[in-house]
Amino acid sequence: MKKQVFALAAALLVAGAGFATDAAAATLKIGVAGPMTGDQAKMGNDILSGVKLALQEWNAANKDLTMEIVIGDDQADPKQAVSAANKFVNEGVIGVIGHFNSSCSIPASDIYKDNGIVQITPASTNPTFTDRKYWNVFRTCGRDDQQGKVAADFVAGKKIKRVAVLHDKTTYGQGLADAFRDSLKKDHKVEAVFYGGVTKGDKDYSATLTSVKAANPEVLYFGGIYPEGGLLAKQAKDLGIKARFMSGDGVIDPEFVRIAGKEAAEGTWLTFSPDIKNVASAKGAVEAYEKQFGPVGPYSIYGYVSAKIFFEAVKKAGAKSAKDGQKIADTIRKGTWNTALGTLKFDAKGDRTSADYVMYETKNGEFVQITGLKQQAAK
Amino acid sequence: MPGAEHPALAIFFQQLVNGLTIGSVYALIALGYTMVYGIIELINFAHGEIYMIGAYLGIVFLALLTAAGLAGASLGLTMVLVFIGAIVICAMWGFTLEKVAYRPLRNAPRLAPLISALGMSIALQALVFLLQGARPKVFPHLFSGTGFDLGGARISYIQVFIFIVSILLMIGLNYFVRQTKTGKAMRATAQDRRMAALVGINVDRVISTTFVVGSVLAAVAGVMVAMYYGYVDFFLGFQAGLKAFTAAVLGGIGNIPGAMLGGILLGLIEAFGAGYISSEYKDVFAFSILVLVLIFRPAGLLGEQTPQKV
Repeated sequence: MKKQVFALAAALLVAGAGFATDAAAATLKIGVAGPMTGDQAKMGNDILSGVKLALQEWNAANKDLTMEIVIGDDQADPKQAVSAANKFVNEGVIGVIGHFNSSCSIPASDIYKDNGIVQITPASTNPTFTDRKYWNVFRTCGRDDQQGKVAADFVAGKKIKRVAVLHDKTTYGQGLADAFRDSLKKDHKVEAVFYGGVTKGDKDYSATLTSVKAANPEVLYFGGIYPEGGLLAKQAKDLGIKARFMSGDGVIDPEFVRIAGKEAAEGTWLTFSPDIKNVASAKGAVEAYEKQFGPVGPYSIYGYVSAKIFFEAVKKAGAKSAKDGQKIADTIRKGTWNTALGTLKFDAKGDRTSADYVMYETKNGEFVQITGLKQQAAK
Repeated sequence: MPGAEHPALAIFFQQLVNGLTIGSVYALIALGYTMVYGIIELINFAHGEIYMIGAYLGIVFLALLTAAGLAGASLGLTMVLVFIGAIVICAMWGFTLEKVAYRPLRNAPRLAPLISALGMSIALQALVFLLQGARPKVFPHLFSGTGFDLGGARISYIQVFIFIVSILLMIGLNYFVRQTKTGKAMRATAQDRRMAALVGINVDRVISTTFVVGSVLAAVAGVMVAMYYGYVDFFLGFQAGLKAFTAAVLGGIGNIPGAMLGGILLGLIEAFGAGYISSEYKDVFAFSILVLVLIFRPAGLLGEQTPQKV
């Protein structure tokens, strides 16, 4: 009898110990959100691959604090973004890397804010995302008011006076187009000769472009994403519009060239962060990424860096669950982060203290950086 | 517009060309909606998906023929084969759709086939998504940048091609429905299905034929649009279907000339609305006109043509 009690106690002890070690080597869940399907699927999957790479490296080095990914597909649709956010809450994630579109990141952040979840977007550039001063939001990319100004300064520097501005009526697209137009007007006294919106998902822009043609612009600026950007560039060329096509970070993707065709894409001016391939600190990450997932997309490394910062912050803050969200956010805000994108610091709102947009030109189907090369070499 | 003697006129002419091109595509798809409605009073919501499949098939066949080394030899022959391939397979889809999703429900309450149609629409979209992936497909830019200038407007050969093919198909369809035996059988079935059966018309076959003809038109529209935009995704059928359905209602649902008129009118309204008033509210114009027409002429512009039960 005594022996049996002893065996039972021993068994309980072992079971208890098992429990204890489970708790110590807890696996924390992190959400990755973006358009994983639909016409912007490439962007979402680029970010996901970046996070996956960061996760592999992290889990290999930190056996006591492993992470796992929960995927949320928002299909670039604000409604789906909210339902993906609620799914994350139910799954008990402690942080989210995403979303891609500003129109998705903004409504989803309300849900994250109320549930103690830290959100780092690698790509949503609309100012509103951080301007609401939520405790939980960060971004590793720049802001559209910075991006629009760089584009406007560049156009003004080329002594261009006739500019047509189009946008896709989304938070991101219209925000960027407005930032560009306003900066042109305020800083350079250049008024847009045409301003208008097109419907995302539409395929025929010939009517709008005919009005653009009548305004006879030298530059056609578009705030939006590559499917519409590609179609606009192609149809503009088909209509005989001579204006140079110009856009921002939503369009700078090989898909744009594929949709527009090499001829129509040729000479396009685009604003984006300095070419990741020229950034010395990103070399290792780019190589590791390309070995596994193929060519890096525009936001792949941003996804990677966002995840890295988050993992580090979780460890530093000693966070165990979504209840520690505030601690993680404070850690990110206070820290100085050495990343593949260089040294990053965040201001009180969650924006990067330094963001550097440069100009690219499409040459023979490739995006070639044409400004900021000297500063980069000096770094 | 530079180079034109009358800039305002050139813009007007350009918008007219834009509107006619997209309008004739709407008309071709609208015919499929209206013919099916005319004969079995069903709004076939999966029709937009047949058009989307047609567009995909255009790309698939072109890729196959290019791989076979034919495209380099003769572009004209290749395009003919691409059209034939897309037409045959879309016709099979239309036939199967009717047989699987609508025929078993022919005597069920009207709501049942309608829901079946919505289900088929989602199923076909999902099928193409799974088979072809989420990334948009790009039609080779074979005809990009070819065209001519007329009165200050830029007209591409593809726009001319779309317009002419659409008009020819509509004339052909009109002849088919009015003059041929099958066409007469169609009209008889539309008027009274039971009487038609009593005088020896194979009603099942007539209804199948209607679906097949509608699908053929949608397939042609799909391939032409793939050539025109050079861009296809699995969501293409939704918006086009919505617009074509609007066009069918605008002209009077069930009415074949009505669908043609409605389609072209809708294309023109969109082009002129977007061009002269505001590009942001392009869709608003189309649907406002629809609402106005339905208020003042509930049966559509040319009147509804539903089976008259005697």
